This record gives sequence, C-alpha cells and structure tokens, in this order.
Amino acid sequence: MQRVGFLMILPLLGVLLGLTMYPFGYMVYMSFFRYSLASWEKPQFIGFSNYRDILRDRTAISSIDFTVLLLAVAVPLEILLGMAIAFLLRDTFGERVFRSALLIPMMVPAVVAGIAWKMLYNFEFGPVNYFLSLLGIPKISWLGTQFFSRLGVILIDVWQWTPFVFLVLYAGLQSLPRDIVEASFVDGASGFSAFRYIEFPLLRPLLFVVLIIRVIDALKIFDIVYMVTFGGPGSSTHSYSFYIYKVGVSFGWDIGYASALSVLLLLAVSLLVNLLIRMLRLRETLEL
Amino acid sequence: MRWVKGIVKGVLVALVLFFFLFPVYWLVTTAFKKSEEWFTWPPTFWPSSWTLGNFMGVEGGFFGSATTAIATITPYLRNSIVVALFVALLSTVISALAAYAVSRFKIGGMRFVSWIISIRMLPPIASALPLYVIFSRLRLINTWWALILAHLVITTPFSTWILITFFNEIPRELDEAAFVDGAGVGQSFFSVILPLAAPGLAAVATLSFIQSWGEFLLSLVLTTGKEAQTLPLYLGRFITGWRIAWGPLAAAGIVTMLPVVVFSLLAQRYLVRGLTFGAVKG
Repeated sequence: MQRVGFLMILPLLGVLLGLTMYPFGYMVYMSFFRYSLASWEKPQFIGFSNYRDILRDRTAISSIDFTVLLLAVAVPLEILLGMAIAFLLRDTFGERVFRSALLIPMMVPAVVAGIAWKMLYNFEFGPVNYFLSLLGIPKISWLGTQFFSRLGVILIDVWQWTPFVFLVLYAGLQSLPRDIVEASFVDGASGFSAFRYIEFPLLRPLLFVVLIIRVIDALKIFDIVYMVTFGGPGSSTHSYSFYIYKVGVSFGWDIGYASALSVLLLLAVSLLVNLLIRMLRLRETLEL
Repeated sequence: MRWVKGIVKGVLVALVLFFFLFPVYWLVTTAFKKSEEWFTWPPTFWPSSWTLGNFMGVEGGFFGSATTAIATITPYLRNSIVVALFVALLSTVISALAAYAVSRFKIGGMRFVSWIISIRMLPPIASALPLYVIFSRLRLINTWWALILAHLVITTPFSTWILITFFNEIPRELDEAAFVDGAGVGQSFFSVILPLAAPGLAAVATLSFIQSWGEFLLSLVLTTGKEAQTLPLYLGRFITGWRIAWGPLAAAGIVTMLPVVVFSLLAQRYLVRGLTFGAVKG
C-alpha cells in the first residue's frame, strides 16, 4: 500500500521539486555571483556583495518602504471592512446574490482590474475625480504624485481583497453555533456584547489565518502596480516584487542582484508561512 | 426605529455594492462606447449609442493609436485556451493522485502537507527568474510548455489541498469494501473513488483553469511573442503604448474576464475552502 501511495505522489513531487526547489537552490547560489544576462561575462563569485548592495540601494529601500506601507494600511483596512461587511450582510435579504457579486473583484484577473482602475483614475475625465468633484473636491492627479499614486494602489488592493476577507469571515460566521448567541440574547445581552464576548473570540483563530494570508499576498503585489502605475511616478510605487522584476528583467537582466533581493523576500515569506502552518491546525482539518 | 435601521442598512449595502462593482461596470460599458464617449466630462455613465466596433474593429483605427481593434487578439486567445486547458487537465490528474495517497495512506503526513502549503504561498517573482534561466537553457522560452509547467507550480498545491479535504469526506468503508471484493488500489481508486469525487475534480479543474488564465507575472517573464503569450500579456502590452485605445482595451478585458467570472461563480463553494487551506469549510 505504502508503495502504491508513494507512486501516486511522485508526479506532484516531481513537478514541485523540479520547478520550485531546484530553481530556488539555483537562485540562492546565483545570489553570490555577479551575473547579468545583458553582458557576455561569465558569472563571477563575489560573496555577500550583492546583499551589501541592497543596503545602499535607495530604490530598493523605497520599494521596501512602499511594501511595508501597503501592509500597514491596506491589510488592516481590508480586515476591518471585510468583517463589517460580513456582519452587515448577515441575514440580509438576498445575501446569496450579494456574496456572488462580491466575489467578482477578487476573481477578475488583476490585469483586467488594472485597466478598469487606470481609466477610473484618469486625471481629466476619470469617474473618481468626477465623484470627488460632486463633493466639491478639486481634481486629483492620482497617478502623478507620490502620495496619491501610493494611496491609489492601496485603494485598489482594498477593492480587490476586502471581498476575500469578507467571504472567509462570512463562512466562518455561519459556522458558529447559533444557539450560544441566541442564549445570550435571552439573557439580555445586546448585539454588540454578543459580538464582543462570543462571536469575536470564536472568530479570532480564523481572523489570524486571514491576516497572515493577506500579509503574505500583499508582500507579493505586482500585477496591479505593473498595470496602473508601472512603479511611477519615479520609483514611488515600486513594490518589492516589481523592483525585483525591474532589476532582473525589464531593465538590466541583473540575475545576481535580483536573486539576492528574491532570497530576502523568500526568507520573509517563509517565516510567515511557518506561522500560518502553526495556526492552521492541519492535523484536525486534514485528519492526518 | 426598526425601519430607520432598515434604511441605514439598505444604504450601506448599496454603497458597498457600488464600490465593489463600479470598476467592473465601467470597464464593461466602456467596451461598448464609441470613441467619442471613452473620455468625456462629465463621464458617460450610460453610452448614448452602443457599438460593437471595439470588438469587431473600426476602419481607420482610433485617433492615431497603434492598435485598432481586438481582431489581433486571436493568437493570444488561442494560447490562453491551450495553456489553461492543459494546466487544468494535468493539474487535476497530478493532484488527484497525490491527494488520494495523502488522504488514504497518510503518505508524507504533516510534513508533506506543510510543504505543499509553503509552495502555494511562495512569491512567484522568486521562481520566475531562475525558471527563466533554466528554461532558456532548455530552449523552452516562449513556448506553451514553459507556461504550462510554470502554472502547474501555482495550481497543483491548491488543487491537492482541496482534493485532500474532498477525499476525506468519502467514507473509507467504500475503499475497504472494494479491497475485500478483491479490487486493487488502482481499481478502487478509478472505479469507486473517482466517480464519487467527480464534483471535487470538476471544481479543481475549473479553479486551475482560472488561475492559469489570469496569471501574469510568470507569463510575462517566460514569453516574448505572440507564439505563446496569453491574454493578460496582450492587455499588459496594450496599456504601455503612448496612446491607449480604451474601447478595444476594455473589450479585450471583457474577453479575458468573462470565463473567469462565470467559472468562479460555478466553483464558488470550493473556492473559500481552498483559499484558506480548510480553515473554514465554506
């Protein structure tokens, strides 16, 4: 039996080892070399030099800065909004339709969403500036200044991923034991205290899982940046992934330096994933 | 009091729906607008006359932009369909086999499963560069296979995960009964378990298709031309031009988005479960 089982996981093992573990190993190795596809020079071993360069690279620092900003602003907003919407839509007439509708921002390919938002943010004719003008706010150059372009990307991320938080928490809410909450109402609890003392503590583990997944995904943001701002103006909306892409592909093919940058990202994500795995209680969910 | 609460709630729900649906609404209507109405002040929220020109092509093109209509989309559409279908098929086969082994024989146990999760969460940019170097040595750059292989990295962990939970819900007694009747592992897997798991397999194939269809970063790095580039890349190339033809671009956006939206509504039930690694049943 064990032998057959091993044969059955072999294809998956092959794909994942060949297409992730081997490339990652190669990448760690390359991060110690000066190696650019743009020149004909052979890779040259330079030790930790690529890593030291990161500290002096102002664009790299600014991309880390923006990525951290995204984590610090967008993710909490998504969690709060997602939770609020989950409570808002609970037991509403037509909640099934609303739930399907809210699936759309998250499922639409990010590239397509990017096109839509690029139109919405248009300075002269964009609907966003139009809606703001109804409130008496003058036209904003959404893609032209550091502050607003960063805010713009954050807003898109909130638009795209709040539905994810909502869907998960909504499913979580529905799986809570109803009778406990109802019993608390009988005992005279208000809606808020039922939330504060019963529903929120029960949802907390799920909330952590969602939080970590969102943090990891936000670290990887790329498509939206590419489509809407292309990192600009200047380098103000370079996300970390976007900067790696720029270094490694679009401007320079500097594989050595891009590898060093990627190794750092990989380390950060691995730490978070470890945390996630501990939160998931795999033994129970998978009956292992 | 009750009706005040009802109204407040109704207004809030309307605001939420507006915020989350308006961008998509804008894209869809723009695809049917004539070029005069792409950008107007105040913006045109409801096209005064609807046109299919953005889909079919308009003679002479649009005010000097390089691109005319999405007639040029066909090779990209073909690439997207081929790649996504292959990914869906291969991913389902590979992950069904692995998920069954994990569910029934506990192969690899916790460590294997944790490893699968970490691969699912890894940043694609980190695998894109080394894959580029490796694939260019294998002369795979700008081929369907480069994309199919790269997309499998994203879809198989996700699919395996969903299918493990799915197989776990099928009673073990069924396998055992098959074994008692003298069936081998292969026979019981193919003729007893797989038919029961058909909805799960369909969901997994659908979700793999969606993921491959919309994938951008890996495809961007691993392809160079219309022989292999998929729809998202077509859109990406469109938008970096100096003058953007918004109507055709939005039309191409609809073509890219439509299958994804339809399929994801169909596979909705399994989506949440897969995205949270079973932390919630959904």
